[in-house]
Formats: sequence, structure tokens, C-alpha cells
Amino acid sequence: MKRALIITLNEVKLYLQDKGDLAFGLLLPILTFALMFGAFGGDTLFTADATIVNEDTGVYSQQLIQQIDDVDGVTVKLLSAEEADAKLDRSDILLALYISSDFSDTLMAGEPAQLTFKQRGNGGTGGQILASIIRGVAEQINQQFQVYNGVKVAVADYNIPDGTIQVVVLSVVEGEQQQPTVGVTEEITGGSSEFINQYLPGIITMYVLFSLSLSAMTIVEERKRGTLERLLTTRLSVGELFFGKFISIIARGFIQTLILLLLSYAVFQMFTPLSFLACLVVSIVFTAAAAAIGMIIASISRTESAANWIAIVVTMFMVMVGNTFFQSAPGSAMETISKFSINTYANEAYTALITQSGSLGDTWFQLVILMGVAVVGLIISRLIFRAVPGGNK
Amino acid sequence: MADDFVVVKDLHKSFKDFKAVNGVSFTIAKGEVFGLLGPNGAGKTTTIRMLSTVLEADSGDITIGGYSVKKNAEAVRTLIGVCPQELALYEDLSALDNMVFFGHMSGLEGKAAHDQAMKNLKLMGLEDRAKGKIAKYSGGMKRRINLAVALMGNPKLLFLDEPTVGIDPQSRNNIFENIKALQKQGLTVLYTTHYMEEADRLCQRVAVMDGGKIIAMDTPYNLKKKIGPPDKTTLEDVFLNLTGRSLRD
Ligand SMILES: Nc1ncnc2c1ncn2[C@@H]1O[C@H](COP(=O)(O)OP(=O)(O)OP(=O)(O)O)[C@@H](O)[C@H]1O
Ligand SMILES: [Mg+2]
Repeated sequence: MKRALIITLNEVKLYLQDKGDLAFGLLLPILTFALMFGAFGGDTLFTADATIVNEDTGVYSQQLIQQIDDVDGVTVKLLSAEEADAKLDRSDILLALYISSDFSDTLMAGEPAQLTFKQRGNGGTGGQILASIIRGVAEQINQQFQVYNGVKVAVADYNIPDGTIQVVVLSVVEGEQQQPTVGVTEEITGGSSEFINQYLPGIITMYVLFSLSLSAMTIVEERKRGTLERLLTTRLSVGELFFGKFISIIARGFIQTLILLLLSYAVFQMFTPLSFLACLVVSIVFTAAAAAIGMIIASISRTESAANWIAIVVTMFMVMVGNTFFQSAPGSAMETISKFSINTYANEAYTALITQSGSLGDTWFQLVILMGVAVVGLIISRLIFRAVPGGNK
Repeated sequence: MADDFVVVKDLHKSFKDFKAVNGVSFTIAKGEVFGLLGPNGAGKTTTIRMLSTVLEADSGDITIGGYSVKKNAEAVRTLIGVCPQELALYEDLSALDNMVFFGHMSGLEGKAAHDQAMKNLKLMGLEDRAKGKIAKYSGGMKRRINLAVALMGNPKLLFLDEPTVGIDPQSRNNIFENIKALQKQGLTVLYTTHYMEEADRLCQRVAVMDGGKIIAMDTPYNLKKKIGPPDKTTLEDVFLNLTGRSLRD
């Protein structure tokens, strides 16, 4: 057993020596992640600067600006008219809001006041969103005034001071805004949650399958180097050799998936600490199953190209039928075939954990299957292995 | 003989229809350096592979240190060290790493493996390059490391399959002296080579193989005596006399 671990350490050492391989192995998950981020990531909220030119000195323009600034993600930038015009000219900004000097007075007089947007072209997507946010705010203020004016007219005979009306109307309107009769709530989960949740299991699955090719090659490499025969003359048993290699491949595959999962955790907030750990457990067991299948290939392959081709064919099969990127229709022949791919079980487990917020307990069936494949695969690989044709070990 | 460390009886090995080893028998006494000579394809390496527990014999018996290779290969493996004909090293690792690794595989624990690795590297005159990658070594240095690895774990019997191929006289001399020193400590050696003067210098007895059979076996002196005056005859003369001048594959 100790010798098996020394084999593992030696493999790790060899792996660390091969700088190209190392860079490939570690950078690839990061690269994949960057692609994922490009495809699915980005800001979850709209953020923009609202450029406003305020020539009014009254209270209503202040109120308007305050309310715009209170909108999540919107920051007000006050500019003079000349500055704003210059920026628009240079396309530094695509849209600016102009509040004319008579804005408050007009409102005070109970007349409709005008706000002006100046924009370059269509104002840009951000500008359009901003404009509609500002329209929404103006609309609120507008409603407030209409209610105020309506109430004022209705109670004109009762000699109620304007100030009182204003306070009551304001508090009712604000109350309404805080607890709207028709509520609209937004639910934001990390990133563009739908896509990433669907694709991450597939991507992890692809990674784990590298372990299959990797383990398929290990024995052939040793054979080609001549070290296999040399090892066979030492106290090392073939069982220890296989187990040591097996562990080293799991370790390597695990580190790759760990990088991928950690980045997904940090950037897409796809996990809770618990679901993250659960995904790691599934990854290890899945990697073990893939590595064991690879070891079977390793023990029957006599040449590197044989190992390579068999590994590619098996990997392709696993990916194609294993519901990796699409789900086979229930009851179809494809669904039956998919039962022969370890990917199916891994994807089911990942989906349960990531998309359906399940716990490890929900994936016990898949874990048992994958663990079974790992153990049985490793035993089979050892049993069918012959170091040399006509060899006795 | 009670003193025989290696006993080989009527060994046979075929690859498909081809008889690579065809009824080979010999013994090696404890502490003896035994030469296995023969043209290319004679079956020397195949014989060593069977003795070193890698290849299973079709028939025949091999006993090493009292253990049957067939029945108790594990015990045999604790006694042997093999320097294969082809280099068998991790080129991406340092000489030290290689030696420590194989030391562990040969039963050495922790620091003992490291200490012995350094000792053997010194023996080979390579202690300065201990941390250098094998890939950057010269051919002769690789050969010496290939041999040094075989010494890890204090084997009682050493299989040296053409250990001196492609190295300069200095390195060769270094290897000879090491073998002689090890022999003094009681090590038994099975040595194959195509350099007859090496066998003459090192081996107490030699066997000449051809076509999978041993066609002569004796001390170098006795073999030379058979075909001419021993001081004027070389082992090469004996070899050509026995195996003929036709080329082999
Ligand atoms: N695995 C194998 N499969 C088929 N034939 C083999 C195999 N190994 C050896 N042979 C054949 O057996 C014969 C003996 O080979 P072996 O390597 O034992 O010769 P050798 O005496 O060591 O030769 P050399 O001096 O060239 O190293 C050769 O004809 C070789 O082609
Ligand atoms: Mg040979």
C-alpha cells in the first residue's frame, strides 16, 4: 500500500516536471471558465450614469434628481448645459436629461412641465434604459401632482392648508410606492443562471473524461520507457502499481474540476457551501469511475496509439449518449443506451445538485453506480492485465 | 552444488513457433560473475527476463537463492537487481529521484533509500549531477545510472544485460571496478556482453549461447585452451570458432 502511494507521488512528480502538460492541465479549466464567463456571465444588474443638466433652482427638480439617484444602479452626474452639449458632441455620453429653469414654477402653478432628453442617435441601449427609468420617475412625480391638484380642488371649500394636503398626498403616494397594489418582484440568481446551470454539468463531465484518456495512457507510457519491466522485477505488485496510478489520475482530475467549480462558485455564485462540497464529492467519484475505465483500456493496449484511439472512442460514446448537452427523450432507445454511459449518472447528479438545489442524499443512486464502476473497473483492469505477452505478472 | 545461488534446468521459451530459448541449463555459484555470451538473437535477454520473473518459461525450472521463480516469484524479487539492456529510467526526473524511487520499490524505506542512492551515485562518479535530469545526461552517464538503479535495495543477484554498450573506456573501467568490488562483498552476477575481452576480464565462467542453446560453458581459460595456446588465444577466437562467421539477425 505504501508503495502504491509512492507510485502516486512519482506520477505527480512526473506531471509537475512536464511544464507544458502542467500548464495545459491547469490552464484549460481556467480557459474554459473564461469562455463560459464570456458566454453566460456579466453584470446581473443594469448600471449607468444619468447625466442631468439642471437649470431649475426649485424644490421639484431636486426631488426628481433625488428619486432618479435612488434607483438601484443609477448614479446621477450633474453637468452644466455647455459641458453636457460638449460631451454629447464627442459621444462621451449618448443621452442627457435637461431640466429647464421654469420646471418647479410651472409645476407649482399646476401646469404640466416639460423634461427634455437630448441624445445621440438612439441614445444607445443604456441610454434607452436610462430614459425609461427617468420617465418612470417623472411619471411618479406627475401622478403625485395630479393627485395633489385633484385633492386640492375637491377640498377647496374646507379651508385645509395646502401644506397639509401636500403631506397627506405625499405619504399616501409613498406608501403606495413602497407597497404597491400590483407588486412586481425581480428574482436574480447569479449570472444568466439558466444557461450556466445547464452547461456546467456538461463541462465538468468533459473534464472528468480527460482522466479516462490519461489513465488509458499510463501503462503504455511505462511500457515504452522500459520502466514497466523494471518495476516488475521489484517488490512492487501490479495491484499496487495500478492503484497508485489510479489515485494519481483521480488527484489530477480532481484538481482540474476543483478549479472549474471554484471559479463558478466565485463568479456565478452557483453554489451554497454545501452544494459546492456535494459537487466535489460527485466529481471525485465520477473521476474515479472514468479513471477505472481508462485503466481497463490501459491494461489491454499494447501501444500508445491503441490506447489513444480506444480512449477517444469510449469518450465519444460516453459524451454522445450520456445526456451531456442534451437530454434523451424518456422511453426512447437513446435513453436505454444512455444507461451505459457513466456521464448519464454524473450529469443526473450534477443537475440534481446545481439546477434543482438537491443535496448529496438525492444523488445516492448515481454515486453508488459511479463508485461501483470505479471499483469493478479497477479490479477488471488488474485481472486482464498481462505485463508482457506470456508474462506471469 | 550446495553453493549454487542460481540453478537453471532445461529452460524453454517460444514466441509463437520460434524457439528463442531451447533447453538451457546452467548454475551460478554464490559470489560468481557468470558470463552469458552469444551472437544477436541467441536468447540471452530472453533467458534473463525469465530468470528475473518478468517472462514465464514454457517449461524448465529456475531456482534463485533457494526460491522457485515459478512458485515464489515474490521472494525471488527481493533478491535480484536488474540492469536491462535498454535504458529503463524516468528521463524527466533527476538521477537521484530515479534511484530513490526504485530504492523504495526494492524495499528501502525513507532516508535509507536516499542515503543508498547518494552512495551509489558516488560509486558511479555522478554525485555532482545527482539533481540533474536524466534527459540532459550523456549516453554514458545514462548507462551508469541504469546500472546504479539496479544496485538499489542491496540485491544478492545482479542481472547485467550489456551494461557497457556505447560508453567510453573510463566509464567502462568504472563499471568493472564497481562490479569487482561488489563481488568481493558476496554479490552474484549474471553478465551479458558482446565484448569478449570484458568477459575474459570479469567472469569466472562463461556460457556461449547460440540459437537458444548453450553450446559451450567453462572458464575463459579452459575455453581458450581448447582451440589453441591459452596465452595467445582470445575469447573472441573461441567465440567465432564456436558460433561461426555468419551474420545473425
Ligand atoms: N517478445 C518477443 N516476441 C517475439 N520474438 C521475440 C520476443 N523477444 C525476443 N524474441 C526473439 O527471440 C530471439 C532471442 O532474443 P533475445 O533478445 O533473447 O536475444 P539476445 O541474445 O539478447 O540478442 P542481443 O544480443 O541482440 O540482445 C530473437 O530472435 C528475438 O527476435
Ligand atoms: Mg539482448
